Amino acid sequence: MSWAALVGADFVRRGSTGDAVDGVVPEWVVRPGTAGEVRACVHAVAAQERSLVASGRGAHLDRGAPPSSCFVLLRLDRMDAVLDHQPGDMTVTVEAGCTLAALDGVLAPAGQWLPLDPPRPEATTVGGALAANLSGPLRASQGTARDLLLGVVVVGSDGALVRGGGRVVKNVAGYDLPKLHVGALGTLGVIVEATFRLRPRPPCERAVVLAGPAERAAAAGLAARDLAVPPCWLELAAPGVLDERAVLAVGYAGLAGEVAAGCDAASALAAAHGLAARVVDAGAALRGRLGAFGLDAAAVLRAATLPTGVAAVLDAAGGRPAVAHLANGVVRIACACDDLRGLVAALRPGLEATGGSLVVERAEPEAKRGVDPWGDVGPALALMRGVKAALDPSRTLAPGRFVGGI
Amino acid sequence: MLPAALVGRLRGIVGGDGVIDRADSLVVYECDGYTLERAAPDVVVLPRTPAEVAAVLRCLADARVPFVPRGAGTGLAGGTLPVGAPVMVCTSRLQRIEAIDVANRRLVAQAGVVNLWVTNAVRAHGLHYAPDPSSQPACTIGGNVAENSGGPHTLKYGVTTNHVLGVELVLPSGDVVRLGGAVEDRPGYDLTGLVVGSEGTFGVVTRAVLRLVRTPEATRTLLAVFDSVEAASEAVSGVIAAGIVPAALELMDRIIIAAVEAAYGVGLPTDAGAVLLIELDGPAVGLDPQVERVRGVCGAHRAREIRVARDERERAALWRARKRAFGAVGRLAPNYCTQDGVVPRTRVPDILRRIAAAAERHRLRIGNVFHAGDGNIHPILLFDERDADEVRRVLAAGREILEACVEMGGSLTGEHGIGVEKIGQMPLLFGPDDLRAMVALRHVFDPDERANPHKVFPDAKVCVETRAPRRQAAP
Repeated sequence: MSWAALVGADFVRRGSTGDAVDGVVPEWVVRPGTAGEVRACVHAVAAQERSLVASGRGAHLDRGAPPSSCFVLLRLDRMDAVLDHQPGDMTVTVEAGCTLAALDGVLAPAGQWLPLDPPRPEATTVGGALAANLSGPLRASQGTARDLLLGVVVVGSDGALVRGGGRVVKNVAGYDLPKLHVGALGTLGVIVEATFRLRPRPPCERAVVLAGPAERAAAAGLAARDLAVPPCWLELAAPGVLDERAVLAVGYAGLAGEVAAGCDAASALAAAHGLAARVVDAGAALRGRLGAFGLDAAAVLRAATLPTGVAAVLDAAGGRPAVAHLANGVVRIACACDDLRGLVAALRPGLEATGGSLVVERAEPEAKRGVDPWGDVGPALALMRGVKAALDPSRTLAPGRFVGGI
Repeated sequence: MLPAALVGRLRGIVGGDGVIDRADSLVVYECDGYTLERAAPDVVVLPRTPAEVAAVLRCLADARVPFVPRGAGTGLAGGTLPVGAPVMVCTSRLQRIEAIDVANRRLVAQAGVVNLWVTNAVRAHGLHYAPDPSSQPACTIGGNVAENSGGPHTLKYGVTTNHVLGVELVLPSGDVVRLGGAVEDRPGYDLTGLVVGSEGTFGVVTRAVLRLVRTPEATRTLLAVFDSVEAASEAVSGVIAAGIVPAALELMDRIIIAAVEAAYGVGLPTDAGAVLLIELDGPAVGLDPQVERVRGVCGAHRAREIRVARDERERAALWRARKRAFGAVGRLAPNYCTQDGVVPRTRVPDILRRIAAAAERHRLRIGNVFHAGDGNIHPILLFDERDADEVRRVLAAGREILEACVEMGGSLTGEHGIGVEKIGQMPLLFGPDDLRAMVALRHVFDPDERANPHKVFPDAKVCVETRAPRRQAAP
């Protein structure tokens, strides 16, 4: 196969251990520069009955299960153009390889943002954020990728270019294909372009951090959702994550008056719950630090429960570093590699039995061996297998990476 | 006609009063809110529980009979018109709200629960269900899920798909599958997101887990009056460009103002070119500065008057006028057809010009009442269905308006769905590869295409028998 003929010799090389996808070293690393080149590459891989994994800058390739095979690592980092920012419409269409930080650089001068704040925005591409359904503290008020995504263009496993959704903020024509690609880890198509709704960029962001006993902090956190000024984000942490004492952070973003009123209300709430409160002026920086939780840990688990179940999960983390998107019921727990299996076995059954889940968000390949990173998704798995078979019958796209070995 | 034995089996499942097969009773079911085409089913089945829905669908699967799901029949694109589907399965009797979890802001509703009942059930807790279609006193959650319904307040709060966390779906085989659930971040494909807006082509949704949102502390509702529809629509762009996200931003033009005023007398200026209904909500502390900014923008766009509702009664009156505008239109003409297109929000002035031009060219009266902040237009084409030529002109003008939406980078439908109405125009928006992917997905859920057949996707098999409008059965 002459990859050079498809994308140019400068953009093809042999894969090495540094390119490994969850421990699986690709034979080739190919970097297409256009959607047309992506189509040609996918077509070529499929024609040889081999497989590929799509990637942006490789910042989040340790998610999911290792691929059962990976002939080509398709890197989309060259496709990084912001194609169409319409400030008046508050929408942006962007190529999949554009990083969130670069996109933000285009949106900020217009006073807008894409309120999606996963860790490492400088290395996280739009395509990666969608495929892995990455999120951060902002999801408490701004939703996740599924709520912000208006349209996608993907390359299917047959090399066809498939459009879903559109470029307008409201659209119910046809099935909602964009939803299907969010969080699918590239198993249904290679995302090459996405359109998002944007929001006004808040001019001011501050936070109140609360310190005191865990139980009271959890109660205060849940109560914070009912304050007149609703928090923009709300993180409940195990001791030691925020700082030595604080365990709850209530973030406010918006006009200065609103933010000030929010901070006052959160401080009053703290007093009412017998907690100490401190205002953090650098709210966005604190949010970034909480969002980046666990980057230095060997492994991170991600538990999902109802908001009222968060405190119990934090408790069950048994003193390990952990932080929760409280309003969403999502708890991330850092652990050592040799601790992973035991912790999954201890936490997963209870969470799954109550409608929740526990996934291995990130771990070294060695540590994941013998652990299903996804857990049991229940009877809907049959339909999910059907969806995979409908859109990627040849299993060309990231085989084995997703739930149930999809 | 359906074999009598099959009808008997259906009666056995849902009881004698749950099956309607008398021609005079079936007339009610021959169309939904889209009245240009009519066709009655052979049989309407009204199960009372999710389990009965599953039993009905299993029975139909055994007999290989296609069916059309229906909620309250308020859809506006003919999504519940039976085309090649002799059995209609109505979920309107599945009326239980099964669970309310205030602390986690979740509610589990059966498909036949009326949209407004959800908010009524949780209002005392300071919560509400955000999607609020104009038909919310009648439309059901099941129908909302099928159509991914919107409403005025979706500008700020999102549409149905943003508020549905899980569904119970009865597949055309009769198998029951639960997708998603009350907890976020469920691993696996977002099948809930795929089912929402699938227009009943995957089966029948019997339950939905809904997200409730906190009712904002304060609300300000403004009525801005403009001499021309152009000025009003430019003010819409101005508000958005100012970085303000109103809870709702609705436009009514002169024709609609006249109809609403005649029907409800809420004091709208009938000599105005257009009015904007602008609602801001949020913490009280930030609201009045926003009201001032909106006033400023409207003033800069030559608003001749800006009223702020002084109390909840005035606010409710304005919203009643807006939400019942469609009903009021009944005073203007014997029939009307509501279109539903979307343009990028900065193109609202352009599309309104195109609508006016279409009205003139086709010698029609077209009113506009729509979600201007979203760019989601609802031109209302007035006609008399006894005038066959006028009906033809209505269809032609509707098509032209939608084509203009697509040409401007928009969509064929923002919240009503494709149904039967817009099937022919799907290729304007989607290419063969896009449509092939969607049909492949449909076959995962419904391999025999028995669930709401001949909807959404252009399909050579659709016959033309229903294409000509019929007289209404009753005057």
